[in-house]
Amino acid sequence: MATNDATIADQDVDEEIDLAPTEEIIKNLADNSRSLLIPTLQKIQNAYRYLPAPAMELLAEFFNITRAEIYGVISFYPVLLISEPGKYIIKLCYGTACFVKGAPIIGDKIHDRYHIRPGETDGAKLFTLQTASCLGNCGAAPMAIVGEDTYGNIDPEKTLDILGEYKIDDAEMLEEAAV
Amino acid sequence: MSVVTKKSCNIKIDGKEVSAAEGTVILEACKQNDVPVSNLCYNRKLLPFAACRTCMVETVVDGKKELVYSCTQPVAEGMEIRTGTEETNRYNKACLEMLLVEHPLDCPICDKSGVCPLQDNTDMLQMFDGRFEIQRRNEPSIKTNPIIEFYLNRCIMCGLCVRACDEIQGVQALDFHKRGMSVSIGTANDEPLDCEFCGQCITVCPTGALMDMTSGARGLVALFTDTHTTCNYCSWGCTIKLESKKGQVIRIEADEGYDVGINEGNLCAKGRLGHGIIHNAQRIESPLINVGGSYKEITWEEALQTIADRMQATVNRNGPDSLAGVASEKLTNEESYLFQKMFRGLLGSNQITNLANLRAPYLNSFTLNCFANGIASQPITKLQEADVVLVFNSDLPSEYPVGGNSIRFGTVFSDTDLLIANPRKVVFDSRAKVDVRMTYKHGADLAVASRLSRIIIDNKLVDVAKINSTVANYENWVQSLAPYTAAMTEQTTGLPDDVLTRAAERFARDADRFVIVGNDILDTNHGEEILNALLNLCTLVRHGGGGSVSIYPPREHCNSQGVNDMGCTPEFLPGYQPVEDSAANLAGDLLRNCINGALKFLYIAGEDPIHSYYKPQLVKEALRTVPFLVVTDVFMTDTARMADLVLPASTFAEKDGTYTNMSRHVQRVAAAVIPQGLSKPDFDILIELAAAMGKPFQNTDVVSVQQEIATVASIYKGVFPGNKSAQWQPDSANANPKFHANDTSTKQRDAAAGDYPFTLQTNNHMFHIGSYSQHAKALVEIGPECVAELHPDDAKELGISAGDDIVVESAAESKVKVKVKTTKVTSRGMLYIPKNWIDVPVNTLRNGEEGLVRVKVSKAG
Repeated sequence: MATNDATIADQDVDEEIDLAPTEEIIKNLADNSRSLLIPTLQKIQNAYRYLPAPAMELLAEFFNITRAEIYGVISFYPVLLISEPGKYIIKLCYGTACFVKGAPIIGDKIHDRYHIRPGETDGAKLFTLQTASCLGNCGAAPMAIVGEDTYGNIDPEKTLDILGEYKIDDAEMLEEAAV
Repeated sequence: MSVVTKKSCNIKIDGKEVSAAEGTVILEACKQNDVPVSNLCYNRKLLPFAACRTCMVETVVDGKKELVYSCTQPVAEGMEIRTGTEETNRYNKACLEMLLVEHPLDCPICDKSGVCPLQDNTDMLQMFDGRFEIQRRNEPSIKTNPIIEFYLNRCIMCGLCVRACDEIQGVQALDFHKRGMSVSIGTANDEPLDCEFCGQCITVCPTGALMDMTSGARGLVALFTDTHTTCNYCSWGCTIKLESKKGQVIRIEADEGYDVGINEGNLCAKGRLGHGIIHNAQRIESPLINVGGSYKEITWEEALQTIADRMQATVNRNGPDSLAGVASEKLTNEESYLFQKMFRGLLGSNQITNLANLRAPYLNSFTLNCFANGIASQPITKLQEADVVLVFNSDLPSEYPVGGNSIRFGTVFSDTDLLIANPRKVVFDSRAKVDVRMTYKHGADLAVASRLSRIIIDNKLVDVAKINSTVANYENWVQSLAPYTAAMTEQTTGLPDDVLTRAAERFARDADRFVIVGNDILDTNHGEEILNALLNLCTLVRHGGGGSVSIYPPREHCNSQGVNDMGCTPEFLPGYQPVEDSAANLAGDLLRNCINGALKFLYIAGEDPIHSYYKPQLVKEALRTVPFLVVTDVFMTDTARMADLVLPASTFAEKDGTYTNMSRHVQRVAAAVIPQGLSKPDFDILIELAAAMGKPFQNTDVVSVQQEIATVASIYKGVFPGNKSAQWQPDSANANPKFHANDTSTKQRDAAAGDYPFTLQTNNHMFHIGSYSQHAKALVEIGPECVAELHPDDAKELGISAGDDIVVESAAESKVKVKVKTTKVTSRGMLYIPKNWIDVPVNTLRNGEEGLVRVKVSKAG
């Protein structure tokens, strides 16, 4: 079934992660009580857009808990990501109204063009697709949020027209906007 | 426990009046009284969790009826409990029904088939007609580690594995992933499992979602033949269940039943996965005779007659005391008894020993001194109810992993305080509220143990006047503690006095105290003094404080205790009756007496001293010199390769008898399969050898030998077990309490650093012990190579990074090459190398050095 599963990070990619922001975040924590774990995860995700594995090792050491426990917490909350998401996160509403009015068709269109299912990121790292249980705007079903932009009353057939506006290169996007 | 006694509550279960200790959950009370209650996620070793919701019962307290989950609700005075009512069944069934929607029915190939709580509960609740459409998951099985297969389609999310890994093992390698409908069990980031491989998760899993991949067969385990026996690795003495099929041992499981063994259904990697030694192509399968350097198979008759003739000839030519024997610490009690009986009774030689006694004869004196001081020590089963545990120089997860399990249980259920003294920052995660870590400078054990006593005396934490009146030499001993001032101790040990004070205060309180001592103290040159100091500490609280104190000698192998109890030492006859003073003691310096020609015949029953003894050069020389060497063993060891005659012995799974664990529990060893090849248990070999000498033993079966032992050694009277084991008790305790003042002035000082800046620590690896575990395929897979440990800062200074090969050199002009990893567990200035790999012969670095071994470390070129 569709969930906001994060994709498993490529294990063989050994990226260099700058741990300075994590160290800074840890340094500013009041203590290592377990209740600070989730706020800390949020801060780290704000810094990196996701939760890099080396940063999680530092957290495990600091909070004196195992990595298994940290990843257990991370996987509980779909908003926490363990791999770098695409430039734009598509939150496609799968609430009842949106579902009935064509959300699955939108999902299929996205898959046809970008080869991604919920929880996945396309090869060019442009989009990460997530589903939402309800975005709270059923009157405008079906709806989706792309990056910071909200779209309502989407015509499923025009899905790709909307997404086509988004480019990996900002300059290119501005150019098109100007035209 | 002596300190906190729990009240008991009178309750009624289904109309029957029973009582249960306050705080017991209803489900446990029902189980103790053989009242079945459906449940899937309860385990008495774990904290209540209430995941499965299938254990509802009805309670009436003060006339008020309630429906409660029996796994979390404690009993209360006057509570009436009704199980399996129409109403509770309806609720319980509904939850079970949901589980069955997803659960696959691949029972014939499931490792829990027939022993499956889900099957049992389905039957108990008569849940045969589910209302819902079946919707199975179809996840592939995960086999990314060599031991534990995850087949999560069968998982019912009871959380037992996650909790066992955390609460029992303190490892927490598993956790829940995701939530709601898609919740599952997994490792961090779904990486391959990398843990202690204790397999506790396999035992507690109710459905076969986690399976032992070392098992030789899948499914229908209820049809396997179970043999309850005692593990043959470390001295903790866990009861294991050998499961066999068609005459082959398939796997080893734990038995979580009540009152089974001392281990409450906990096992470690060695115990669970070490069955690879039983059916093994490398085993010696026939008697072998050395013909000019190559071995020729001969018949048992020829072999035994050759040995018998040779023994008789040696007695005639050189006198009885020119024959010596080394009994393995893995022989059963009955075999050890017959071994010494053959030497003493048939040959007239007192020259028998075992390797632990050869190195540290003071271990036996220590045991007897404990008794004399009134410390008989409680059975080890009481460890989990301890108020305070002092773990002295023992890396529990490697040395006594199941002891660690008991202690963790105590920290959860009995508020056990934990005091850990070790030169390394050993990893031991538990829920102890008081967890004092004394990480001292390597080699400073004696100062730590002595200072603890002195703090108790100085701060009057016990009734000093009372001790002074009961123990005669108290004053003398106190004077001997004079050097252990706070400042001097801090200088020697590197430990601030407040840490030691905190530990001493905890230890001195009226409490049930346990002291677990590690075998590493034998490597310090002060083994005897450290044991004396710890005994003094225990005597102090025993005679000056309330509660109880238990201390066990460090014992390494499964029957290290029993082989001494049975008198395989030159100092003692069976049952610690002293040998007459006039008797020659050549076995006390066995190796040199082989070299100087005093000993002409040596019989080594199941040991490989070339690798396991700390004087490898001397051993080789002795074995080269002694005119005739007989070795019995399971595998062709380097020691066996020097023998004139090699006899194939059977493994523990092929013989009957008893082992005595380090806390003196005498436990059964039972044969599960017939011996491989022509091998025989040492018991049979000794019986037949006596017959070949023309002096057959009168008692030739295990039971009658046990009866003989009980008559000869009174401490073994009435302890030979049926399905329950007992701890043997000393004949007289508290006979002559005294303190043992240490005089270390004559001892050779540990060598100064000089050109060798590191001190070497060697002990058993978590996955290996003795000479057998390297033949167990599964243990080799999880512990394939020797990896030394170095502190990251030391490594950095030497330009060494993790994964490099290093060369280690000692003053003994020995060099070994080994892979290294960096960890903060090993303190600065220390190098840790596990001793279980033949290609990394750490004992050659030691080569007879009694104290700390100093080494230098460089990156391999």
